[in-house]
Amino acid sequence: MDLSRRTFFKIAGVASATAVAGQPAVATASPDVRAVLVDTTRCIGCRACEAACAEANGLPGPVGEPAVNTRRVTDPRTFTVVSTLVPNGDAETRFVKTQCMHCVDPSCASACLVRALEKTPEGPVIYHPELCLGCRYCMVACPFDGPKYEYDRAIPYVRKCEFCAERQAAGQPPACVSVCPSGALRFGTRAELLDEARTRIYQNPDRYVHRVYGEHEVGGTSWLYLADRPFEELGFRADLGETPYPAYTWPFLSAVPLVLTLWPPFLMGLYAFTRTRESAADAEDSGEEVRHG
Amino acid sequence: MAETLTRTATIRPWVTEKILMGLPPRAYARSLVTPGNAIVALILLVGLPIIVCRFVFGLASVTNLSQTTPWGLWIGLDVLCGVALAAGGYVLASTVYLFGLKHYYPVLRPAILTGFLGYLFVVIGLMADLGQPWRISYPVIRSYGVTSVMFLVGWHVILYLTVQFLEFCPAVFEWLGCSRVRRWAASLTIGATVFGVILSTLHQSALGALFLLAPTKLHPLWYSPFVPVFFFISSIAGGLSMVIVESAVSHRIFRNQVDPEQHVDLDRITLGLGQAASVVLFTYFFLKLLGLADGNRWDLLATPLGAWFLVEVLGFVLLPCFLFAHAVRRRNARLARAAAVVSVAGIVLNRLNVSIVAFNWNVAERYVPSWMEIVVSITIITIGVQTFRWIVNRMPVLREHPDYAGTH
Amino acid sequence: MMPHDLHAMYSAKAIEYLIAVAFLLLFVPFWSLLNGGPAARRVKVAKRALVPRLVEWFNVPENVYYHPGHAWARVEPDGYVRVGMDDFARKLVGPLAGLRLPAPGTRVEQSEPGWALLADDRAIDMLSPVDGIVVETNAEAFRSDRPPDPYGRDWLLKIKPEKLIANLKTLIVNGTERRWMELNADTLRLRLSPNLGLLYQDGGAPVDGLARTIDPENWDELAREYFLTSEE
Repeated sequence: MDLSRRTFFKIAGVASATAVAGQPAVATASPDVRAVLVDTTRCIGCRACEAACAEANGLPGPVGEPAVNTRRVTDPRTFTVVSTLVPNGDAETRFVKTQCMHCVDPSCASACLVRALEKTPEGPVIYHPELCLGCRYCMVACPFDGPKYEYDRAIPYVRKCEFCAERQAAGQPPACVSVCPSGALRFGTRAELLDEARTRIYQNPDRYVHRVYGEHEVGGTSWLYLADRPFEELGFRADLGETPYPAYTWPFLSAVPLVLTLWPPFLMGLYAFTRTRESAADAEDSGEEVRHG
Repeated sequence: MAETLTRTATIRPWVTEKILMGLPPRAYARSLVTPGNAIVALILLVGLPIIVCRFVFGLASVTNLSQTTPWGLWIGLDVLCGVALAAGGYVLASTVYLFGLKHYYPVLRPAILTGFLGYLFVVIGLMADLGQPWRISYPVIRSYGVTSVMFLVGWHVILYLTVQFLEFCPAVFEWLGCSRVRRWAASLTIGATVFGVILSTLHQSALGALFLLAPTKLHPLWYSPFVPVFFFISSIAGGLSMVIVESAVSHRIFRNQVDPEQHVDLDRITLGLGQAASVVLFTYFFLKLLGLADGNRWDLLATPLGAWFLVEVLGFVLLPCFLFAHAVRRRNARLARAAAVVSVAGIVLNRLNVSIVAFNWNVAERYVPSWMEIVVSITIITIGVQTFRWIVNRMPVLREHPDYAGTH
Repeated sequence: MMPHDLHAMYSAKAIEYLIAVAFLLLFVPFWSLLNGGPAARRVKVAKRALVPRLVEWFNVPENVYYHPGHAWARVEPDGYVRVGMDDFARKLVGPLAGLRLPAPGTRVEQSEPGWALLADDRAIDMLSPVDGIVVETNAEAFRSDRPPDPYGRDWLLKIKPEKLIANLKTLIVNGTERRWMELNADTLRLRLSPNLGLLYQDGGAPVDGLARTIDPENWDELAREYFLTSEE
């Protein structure tokens, strides 16, 4: 399958237009949406995923050894990072891969005033650099601080993991998943992977924390996580809630057409009332009668 | 040959009268050398190169913005505060044209001018902050992110600039002497006023609604589903207070412009506006209380940020409310002006709190604006003030044009 | 994040309603606080009609503030003070050749000369009843082609007051003006007594321009005595 870039965007455009036309108050993910399951208990911290990502995106590869026990963050030239963590007195190290979570109902895409960030029906949240004006509202909106900005460039863009959307369109898994030697990363549909995750928890109840991170967070994400330590200890935010963030702006956006409809008659009524009162007062002063037609 | 002669013969006196305020070019240039203008020149001398640097080398060379703090002083101060304080335009337009309180007319034109220039320089400030400002027209002409509150803000600002310009047009046409066009522009006033109020309601509240998408990043004491209403109501108080401050300053600085024959009773206007501001601040205070109750995080008031929240709400909302009330009762215009200054400071504080202080409150690295960001903000504000001065010195803003007196 | 458990919601909603009710209850006193105040209470604002009231030969209407120098002041609803000369002064001086009124923008002080009456090539100062800035003058005051109306049409100045409450405290009002005018009439009658015959020939109404009748040579000195503007 060899999709031309233009056709891809056309399909994506139509699909997202129809998606936007609906008004999801709760995120409803199509079960066929692509996702990745990250089993942190299987990750050995080889960082092959970082190297593969860099190569696939034309970025400089990982350099040197990362600091231990700090939650690393992505940046405009590193779309994914693996953090080495030693949680709370435990001797064992854990490795946590982070990148854009490709949310089911992404706040970045709803925040973008020119739709430069777009949620494709296949799953990836992709970026249209030719539209972006650099307002950075997507960065404010993202609870995971996914999008990063090229502050040091004269012509800057937003940079983040795009879930290898082009590779997926060509039927391949994302670069990071394809090189993972330990099977910590698994690519599939979201429904499949949730089943897989739950199965793993059911079969090893003492090993895993009984929660799939990303199943419900902010309405659900495409990148799902399993861990054997509470997620907060591994640097995940646990206070994000289950409502997709776009739902928080929906009441305001719905009020806008109401204001546009109600304010004119209200204000013109006020104007008419003031004018009648004025002309009545003037007529009274000059001793005339006021006729109401 | 004769034609070109007459053309230049009419252009030169026009320039002298309208632009150089009736002075020959050399005398005009000499009149520009004042201590105030020297300070302005100094500010521009430092600020303009920094702005150039920002565009050549990128935002990082000038600002302290980071990947966790995408919005800094330019958004917090120039954009958010600028819009809130330029609200005097729509508030005074409603007062005069919709509520029919004609005796506020003397401060209406300066308020509309402040509103127009305020928004214009908000856009200019925004262009310094945007990564690719030459694309600022994209939400209007290229791609429509209708689910975005930012999209609304963009459209409303553009429409509102147009409306404010139309409201100010009669003054421009009086200056240029085009009475027919002026009459056409004046006929649009009521429509422009109503449209202006609608747009203002929407974009003042939309600026607050921007933060609805950041519930985990904005401190719970400032985050509320009511934040759009907070921004809208506080913009009314901000607009009223700003008109009080600006009219007091203008009447002092542009004393030569104010027509003594007109006997403008600025004290009475100030007290009237102060009375309205008092009611608005009283209401706003209770709205903030409702927000607190809705958020149900009273425990946070005991924290340092909680104390700061109380400073903002008690010291800069409730206090000016009572100062205004006291001033109105005692007919003390000077106290009302002091209250207006406190109120303006309160609005600025609120916007800075929401966008910088309480934003990312739980992140270790705090954002502090760099000195260059501060200088650029000052530069932009200075250019705005200079534009205001240029216009007020030439066009009938603080005075009535003799040919059009009484035609309002 | 906002907890959506029922318990927390109950207390949150209850507090919200309490705050809203408190607001409604507090709003009414707040509004009256804003619109009341000592300025509003202590100042009698002029009503539309002036009810004439004769004390001896002079019209001394109620609800007008009088200055001992025979100027009057009325507080208008818009906060300005309208000022003029009272009926006693007008009848004392008689027909005027003109008035010297201060230009708008001039500051006047209470009990300092505010304007001058011109008649017979003489100028007689009168004292201003209030402190303030003149905002308007009445060019049509005491036009010769119509009967005089010293409290209405023939007002003299409109002043923006500066120390209104303090000024009004020193003016004559609330019934005292009656006694005051009676005293004025008494002193005048004493001066007139030598010419009593002349005066009461037609039955009682005094001649216009009493001062000139009493002392044709130095009538302006007499007027200044009453207007408290004698040059010492």
